[in-house]
Amino acid sequence: MRPARMKKIRAVILDEKVDPVIRKLHESGLVELYDLSTKLEDPEWSAFLAPSPSAEYGRNVASLTIKVSRMLDLFSNVSKGEKTGLSGILNPKVPEKKKLSFSSSAEIISHVENVLSCVEGEVSEPAKKLAELENRKAILEALKDSVKYLADFELDLKFLGEGPYTYTVSGLSFPENLKGLESSLTDVTDGYVEIVKGAPVNTGEKEQKIPIIVNTLKQYMDVVGAELRKSGFERLDISEVIGTPKDVFIGSEKELQSIEKDTKSILEKLNALSKKWTEEVLVLHEILEIEKERAEAYSMTGKTVRTHLVEAWAPSKYVKKVQEIIETASEGYSVVEISEPDEPVEKIPVLLDNKKAIKPFEMLTEMYAPPKYNEIDPTMMIMPGFLLFYGIMLTDAVYGLLLALAGVVLWKRMGKVSQGAYNLGYILTLSGLSTVFFGILTGGYLGDFMLQFMGMDIYSTGLALVNPLGESTYISAAKPLLSLGGIDVNNGPMTILLFSIVAGILHLFIGLTVGISESLKKKSLLDAFLGQGMWMLLILAIVTTVFTGNMMIAGVAVILVIALCMIKGFMNGGVLDALLGAMDITGFLGNVLSYARLLALCLATGGLAMAVNIMAKLLGDAIPVIGILIAIVMLVFGHAFNFVMNGLGSFIHSLRLHYVEFFGQYYEGGGKKFSPFKAKREYTSN
Amino acid sequence: MVFENPLLLGAIGAGLAVGIAGLGSGIGAGITGASGAGVVAEDPNKFGTAIVFQALPQTQGLYGFLVAILILFVFKSAPEWAMLAAGIGTGLAGLSAIGQGIAAAAGLGAVAENDGIFGKAMVFSVLPETQAIYGLLVAILLLVGVFASPGVTTIAALGAGLAVGFAGLSGIGQGITAAGAIGATARDPDAMGKGLVLAVMPETFAIFGLLIAILIMLGIMF
Repeated sequence: MRPARMKKIRAVILDEKVDPVIRKLHESGLVELYDLSTKLEDPEWSAFLAPSPSAEYGRNVASLTIKVSRMLDLFSNVSKGEKTGLSGILNPKVPEKKKLSFSSSAEIISHVENVLSCVEGEVSEPAKKLAELENRKAILEALKDSVKYLADFELDLKFLGEGPYTYTVSGLSFPENLKGLESSLTDVTDGYVEIVKGAPVNTGEKEQKIPIIVNTLKQYMDVVGAELRKSGFERLDISEVIGTPKDVFIGSEKELQSIEKDTKSILEKLNALSKKWTEEVLVLHEILEIEKERAEAYSMTGKTVRTHLVEAWAPSKYVKKVQEIIETASEGYSVVEISEPDEPVEKIPVLLDNKKAIKPFEMLTEMYAPPKYNEIDPTMMIMPGFLLFYGIMLTDAVYGLLLALAGVVLWKRMGKVSQGAYNLGYILTLSGLSTVFFGILTGGYLGDFMLQFMGMDIYSTGLALVNPLGESTYISAAKPLLSLGGIDVNNGPMTILLFSIVAGILHLFIGLTVGISESLKKKSLLDAFLGQGMWMLLILAIVTTVFTGNMMIAGVAVILVIALCMIKGFMNGGVLDALLGAMDITGFLGNVLSYARLLALCLATGGLAMAVNIMAKLLGDAIPVIGILIAIVMLVFGHAFNFVMNGLGSFIHSLRLHYVEFFGQYYEGGGKKFSPFKAKREYTSN
Repeated sequence: MVFENPLLLGAIGAGLAVGIAGLGSGIGAGITGASGAGVVAEDPNKFGTAIVFQALPQTQGLYGFLVAILILFVFKSAPEWAMLAAGIGTGLAGLSAIGQGIAAAAGLGAVAENDGIFGKAMVFSVLPETQAIYGLLVAILLLVGVFASPGVTTIAALGAGLAVGFAGLSGIGQGITAAGAIGATARDPDAMGKGLVLAVMPETFAIFGLLIAILIMLGIMF
């Protein structure tokens, strides 16, 4: 019921033997390395221990990682986006693990280099060609854009730019600036200028410009340039082309087409190469990442002249194994010491340790906060309550079946590649089964589908125990379930309300029991009594009242508890707190009433399903011929909507009852999660 | 019997249930939707998440719809004032959707930054729904005829609906607290427990409303 017990491992290892030890520990994934760097700032420690830098091979690994990542980028750019499709998402392929075993970083680096040079040998030439083609394509497209404005001119473009005596420039000018430009150019060049204008062209939305070609003597080049800039002239940069604009346009279009063809064939080639190599390169990427983590692990250790000090946390049950690993990997050149945790509890890592059947529910505990090291692990207590509440709130056998099926797909299929999907799938599968159970109990099959469309009233047949919205064979005004304090429990809603409140009180009572045993361990008897004990007495008093019918017992208990709350408040901080303390009882009452949501949400599912059925029936009856089709569409979408909305609602409300009402009695959380030093392997195995 | 046809009051109740709860849900879903539009503009992959959060404040409208259907089709024989009170209670309590919308908007914003907080943001965002659930609860209790006291059959029934309905507006305050708590939890995941305690506080008033409604229905004062 508590997180796994931890031990601290302290090992002094000869320098030459550290690497194999770190490698083996990393593969085993059994320990969490303890970062010594803060400890080493303490003068007492720094007298004989120096901080250790990351391993030297880390640098080579980093530079290789960059190369490998680049290769992966290239591959992902060229590979055709293969559609995974729904079946791909629902049943993902687990990559086959490649068995690779290395004993040193040098071996890994040379392996990576070998494979990489092999890949590069095949890939680099087409990749270079592709880059060239893309480059040329960009140039041609820019040229095409420029010459298309000059289509009117019958000029060989080779004359643009500087000639032996003249200077020619082409570009676009604003029509309104043209007059001024002409006169100013004539001024600065003493008339040695010729301006040829073309027909106006549209350059953008609603923007018209006039293409012009300006020819002048070479000696006026600079002044003409300055004058042009002033007028907002947009120069068309064309150089090293031969032929009229029209020819150039057609020529570049032709070339672009052939480039398109070449690019396509090269992309195909690269795509084939990427198919051939991607997995291999992913393997390289993974082993490099693992290597990087190892290199960085060194910086968590301390160093003497000839040895390293490694400290680590390990769960008690693995401690022997860890010691063995260190001793064998270092071939005996090490001293290992195992001790009880010597740090404050907040610093001891927390590893939840539940049986396999319960483990996925740790997800729900951790969503709130993992327990502190010396706190109770509530996972085992969440599981039954969560499933029970979920089932009651959704209560529909068909919805439950759908949910269980979705859960199985998530758990067994997508769970192969994602731990989160595995956990959620497992939880949903069980929740679905619970829902089926309660659905059958309350006769919920797509709400009252059978009554609306088949004329079969399940509640009059004895197949369903409770009717959430009214009376059934077993529970009706004629046959009340039981009578409590003047109120007959004689119909479905009342039965479920009674059940909800009883389940709530029991749930709270369990929480309080755990809380009191925790308090007794840590604090005084008085604290335990004021924290949990008096509420337990109150519950017991109310239960006794219900069975004996003696209102006195509950009344006295309530007054007593209010008084105790005020005393508690007074002890904590005076009169004001005492007054506030008196309000605690409403908080307690609120906790109990909060469980009434079980009834409300149970009715919401059944009621909305019924609403969908009623509307579908109305539509089907009202519209001739195609009415039946509309009714079917209404049923499918309506029930899908209701299923999703209430499925989600039940999940979170079930969680809420645990987080707010249940945890409030005993649980705080806030521990530091155990994060193992572990090689993450997806594509390789050791 | 005030009117010839008791269903007259029932029809008004049904209208108020759908109308007021729909108003709340519309505003709430609108607030979340605005946040969702911003999030989706940043990252189109978050569309699904945005839809899930926007679904939360829509439940109040569904409860209103549910009660309307129950009044009109199922519990036609319930006391007339009870039908009206059921509609008013569910409708007003459905305004808690405004608060839920605020909380869900904050939750969505936090999840856009950090996927890992999804579960926590969901739990916080669902807190302000309690008020609507109490409204639904009282409506059902009024309609199914568990209580036959004057508190249900006379105009007193309106008191029950108003108590749980107006107290349900505490959902707006709760939504604001929950939005703040989501922000705090996004910064420090360990703040969740304390954030929950603060965010549950405004629920106290909803519980007062529920209690008074139950007392009225029991006919304690007659």
